[in-house]
Amino acid sequence: MRELAKSALKVFEKTGVDFGDIRTEERKSTTIRIANEQLQALSSVVRKGFSVRAFRRGAWGYSSGTSFTLDSVRRAAEAAARIAHANSARGLPRSSLKSIKPMKRRLKPVVQIDPANIGLDEKTELAMTVSRAQRIGPKVASTFAIYGEWDHAFEVANTVGTDVSWREVRTRIGGQAVAAEGDKRDFAYDFTDGTGGYEIVKAVDPNEMGKTIAEEAIELLTAKKPPGGMMTVITDPDISGLLAHEVMGHASEGDEITKRRSFLTDIVGKKVGSPLVTMYDDGTYPGAHGTIQFDGEGTPGHKTRIIDRGVYAGYMHSLETSGTLKMPLTGNGRAENYSRRVWVRMTNTYFAPGDDKFDEIVEETKDGLLTHKSISGMEDPVGGGFQAVALMGHLVKNGEIGPAVRGMTLTGKALEILKSVDMASREFKLSGGFCGKGEEDYVPVSSGGPYMRSKIIVGGG
Amino acid sequence: MTLLSLADDAVKNALAAGAQAAEAFAMTYRTKSVYIEQDVPKVAEERTEAGIGLKVAVGKRVAFTSASLEGPRDVRTATATAMKSVKMVPEDPDFPGFTSFRVMGKVEKTHDAKTAETPVEELVEMALELTAAGKVRKDVTVPKGIFRVQDYELRVANSEGAEGSHRGTLVFLYFTAKSGTKTRAGEGIIKSLGVSLSQQDFQAIGKRLGARSVENLEASALREKIAGTVVMDPLDLGEMLIQTVGSAVNAEDVRRKRSPWQDKRGQKVASEGINIADMPRLPAGLSSCAVDDEGNPTADRPLVADGILRDFVHDHYNAALLGGKGGNAFRRAVATIEGAYARPAQCSISNLVVEPGTQSLDEIIGSVQKGVYIEKLAAPEVNQFSGAFALEVRNAAIIEKGELKDHVKYALLVGNMFDGLKNVAATGRELRPSHGFLTATGCCYLPPLAFDGFELVGQK
Repeated sequence: MRELAKSALKVFEKTGVDFGDIRTEERKSTTIRIANEQLQALSSVVRKGFSVRAFRRGAWGYSSGTSFTLDSVRRAAEAAARIAHANSARGLPRSSLKSIKPMKRRLKPVVQIDPANIGLDEKTELAMTVSRAQRIGPKVASTFAIYGEWDHAFEVANTVGTDVSWREVRTRIGGQAVAAEGDKRDFAYDFTDGTGGYEIVKAVDPNEMGKTIAEEAIELLTAKKPPGGMMTVITDPDISGLLAHEVMGHASEGDEITKRRSFLTDIVGKKVGSPLVTMYDDGTYPGAHGTIQFDGEGTPGHKTRIIDRGVYAGYMHSLETSGTLKMPLTGNGRAENYSRRVWVRMTNTYFAPGDDKFDEIVEETKDGLLTHKSISGMEDPVGGGFQAVALMGHLVKNGEIGPAVRGMTLTGKALEILKSVDMASREFKLSGGFCGKGEEDYVPVSSGGPYMRSKIIVGGG
Repeated sequence: MTLLSLADDAVKNALAAGAQAAEAFAMTYRTKSVYIEQDVPKVAEERTEAGIGLKVAVGKRVAFTSASLEGPRDVRTATATAMKSVKMVPEDPDFPGFTSFRVMGKVEKTHDAKTAETPVEELVEMALELTAAGKVRKDVTVPKGIFRVQDYELRVANSEGAEGSHRGTLVFLYFTAKSGTKTRAGEGIIKSLGVSLSQQDFQAIGKRLGARSVENLEASALREKIAGTVVMDPLDLGEMLIQTVGSAVNAEDVRRKRSPWQDKRGQKVASEGINIADMPRLPAGLSSCAVDDEGNPTADRPLVADGILRDFVHDHYNAALLGGKGGNAFRRAVATIEGAYARPAQCSISNLVVEPGTQSLDEIIGSVQKGVYIEKLAAPEVNQFSGAFALEVRNAAIIEKGELKDHVKYALLVGNMFDGLKNVAATGRELRPSHGFLTATGCCYLPPLAFDGFELVGQK
């Protein structure tokens, strides 16, 4: 890496760009898929590549490759510099990179049990157990389980003098059951993941996970259509997290602010929610799926307060948005991999827990809906609209949890929802996943929060 | 030696290392992208990558490994990893072995040399042309745009003598426009795909993009429920069909009892007159190819004929188990080819084509007494098993007495796609491509369709 970095940085010096860096990656992963209690696929991936980028007067040039020769890296750096020069000559609006001090660090991952030290047979059996445990009756039409591990090694060097390296290790176990009865068909899922070693999946009871997935899929076959319209909704941590991530999170990404595309532009210090609403993006959260030691620019992971007791506190930044907006650097410059650009991305985004107990929230709800798990959510940084699809829900009547209802769509204006939050639980959970921005650039993240009671529009089912 | 020829070396290496059968898929690709931010070309890039996917079998044990490719050493490492893995996995009693076809020939117009060789500097100019056209009013900006051109080449080979090659180009555009003021904004989003730059009309795309942002800004909140005919633009509808029909006709989902159409062969699944086919031989199709990604020859296949389910799509594995014909194993997505070698081939549609009708979009709208035209949804996601959906609309207009009236927003399109297919009221004549999730294989070519039975429900 040293020689490759030197080669790239030398090109950047010669070509007179304002800033340049090189990121090398070695991405190893193993995935085991079990379908209907049979091995569907075992796949091991090793992808190695480098990305170089050059910045000049507001324009970026990128290039990347998978050939680790001095000549390839040099040519890539020249291409990046050429592109940056060409576009900067168009007289782009000036932006500036945050002034940083060079950092030299080599960090090891926080891993108790390195997945590389666990045999494929044990991992396969773990996933097989999740699949087998779903087979609880004739209504279970299909079972599926997946085990995944990712071990990614990074090195970043730049023209400022930064030279850092680190590894990100993540593991995941999960499953999905399809239940069918006549022409009715529905599904349920569960998974556990995080940044860390095999200890994360080892802590899961695979029998319990599989059985619960199947029970929920079967329950959905007889679930009723949910009520529609504006109603009191107790969002579970998954749906609370989608509200944090999809609407408030994406709209708090610094590049959306510099582009003035976000409905949260110029809103620091203003009230955006009830006093029960505090929100963070936290790349340092121990063990969570979006936790990072450094971002893709070599900036250490950071805990950023976005909303403080209902008042908007600040945005997330890369080197460029931090420099342009003259705001603190937050370690949110991330890339999906070496063949993708770096831009502002979330890590672990969540609402902080409240003081209420979950049971108390239910007891104090006369007529409402309790959501259970999410299927999808969609960003809307321009309009500030919330759209999330819940896997299922339960009616809440006179303080008691009632019958199950089918998956539903939750919508409304995010700020109106947040201002209506009147209870938040002590119980708190993060759920992992991969986040795309626009339609691509998927990075590992998590989102979550407490059970939160608010007013939301419910539709579909 | 070329990097693609390493596919053949990988097969030999695996056999020498003790595999009883092996299949390799090598590919090289170049990517050129331009990212527009706030009307200017903020990022531009040129990237190259090569990789190999290797599947090995020892008896009924099968393992897949993949690696980015620099030279023979990567093939040796991949082989060693695969051979280590295959010893530790359980047997698959149904593993039918690999195919033995030797596929020659190619599908017309999947690769456009001019597109492949267009320098990134020219792509910047095209992106700026689109951006400028999008500024249909003073208050319209283009905060975000992705413009990507890829050219790729692949080779598949296996120990049974199968071999095949393919090359293609892909063009992908995703742009957003914003109109209005700081306190009241409208957003337009537009996507376009193709295999050559000549298929893209940057002026027209830009103008429509800008118009969508203005229409979204000026749309009024829907307060009622509209239960008339719903006319849908192909792009988001295609994504909904990929999720539902694409899965329902997938032999892997059929075999695993995940498909709602698993027992419906010979039964009505769509309105009379609806014909849906999988067409990997479609000239200039995004997923077109003579050979699939495990070495089988492809063939066009009617799936739904006059509303009746006739067939499913099969990869080699499911064809062997269910008695169909292979040719539908893919790893390539159409929005980006990136990383395709790192995924094992899976049973998938190629170009799912809904046969066009005779009416133009204007004629369809002109025939609707009361209804709504849906041009863009926030996220076209459907429950693939039940077909249910409730989706927020971004660009929609009321239809009254055959004319487009007010644009509306804050509304949910509610329905069931499997039911909707049985209630198609009209079929347009202009085919357009649509794709699914970023790394999803296959795509859909379809015209505008009109449905009865969906509802647009106001949120106010």
